[in-house]
Amino acid sequence: MRITCKSASEYIVRKEEGKISFKQRIQLFIHLIECSLCKRFSKQNKPINLLLKKEVTTPETLTADQKSSIIRKMEEAEQDNKEA
Amino acid sequence: MSDNHFVNDPKKWVEEYSDMLYQFALKRIADKEYAKDLVQETFISAWKNVHQFNASASFKTWIVTILKNKIIDHYRKTAVNTQSTMVEAESVFFDEADHWREGYYPVEWQVTATADNKLESFEFMKVLQSCKSKLKEIQQQVFALKYLEGMESEEICKALSITSANYWVIIHRAKVQLRACLEKKWFA
Repeated sequence: MRITCKSASEYIVRKEEGKISFKQRIQLFIHLIECSLCKRFSKQNKPINLLLKKEVTTPETLTADQKSSIIRKMEEAEQDNKEA
Repeated sequence: MSDNHFVNDPKKWVEEYSDMLYQFALKRIADKEYAKDLVQETFISAWKNVHQFNASASFKTWIVTILKNKIIDHYRKTAVNTQSTMVEAESVFFDEADHWREGYYPVEWQVTATADNKLESFEFMKVLQSCKSKLKEIQQQVFALKYLEGMESEEICKALSITSANYWVIIHRAKVQLRACLEKKWFA
């Protein structure tokens, strides 16, 4: 009935998506009462999830050259289409 | 899209949407050169298929969807090459009995994330990015689909042609590694 820390941490990740059976839920619950390390893992998992959802805005842009090259390729593609 | 000049002008498309698409791609593809190539391919296929665009829909949504599909195609190609090695690979974080290995115990973090704006600071996000970039490509891809696109595990497995067992190994290990990296670089 007892589970390992490896399983417990996997159940914590599965639980986020609700992909955990009733039995596993009980096993995890019991494990978290007894294991302070996994409890910590579970607690820290929550803010990590929120942060992973954040889109970090990168200030990077394409150069003028890269943009003109894209435009050129689009114009070529258009001609291909017309000839076909 | 009511503006006909816009529809027929590649210059206007690129002016308006290239940087937005490039930034969208950079969040999902680490390789800048590759991200740029995908943006270019997106413009070309949108241009060729503009007759398929439904004028009552949003042009931005339409072109982002084209890019998104190209990104997932790319993910699928890399996933095929890596998944056979995933299940058996051993992890340093757990010992022979599958308990946390000594020296890898999760420790209490000094700041709690809930009340602390510091966690969203520029410096922290840089650390997060750097920790994410240390993960295997497939782990980063699963993270992007799960957290940025909000996809369910079944959809992700289907998109990347990976098994459910592999999916959980990938995401579990990625979480354990990311947590440890954040702890080492930020919370310690």
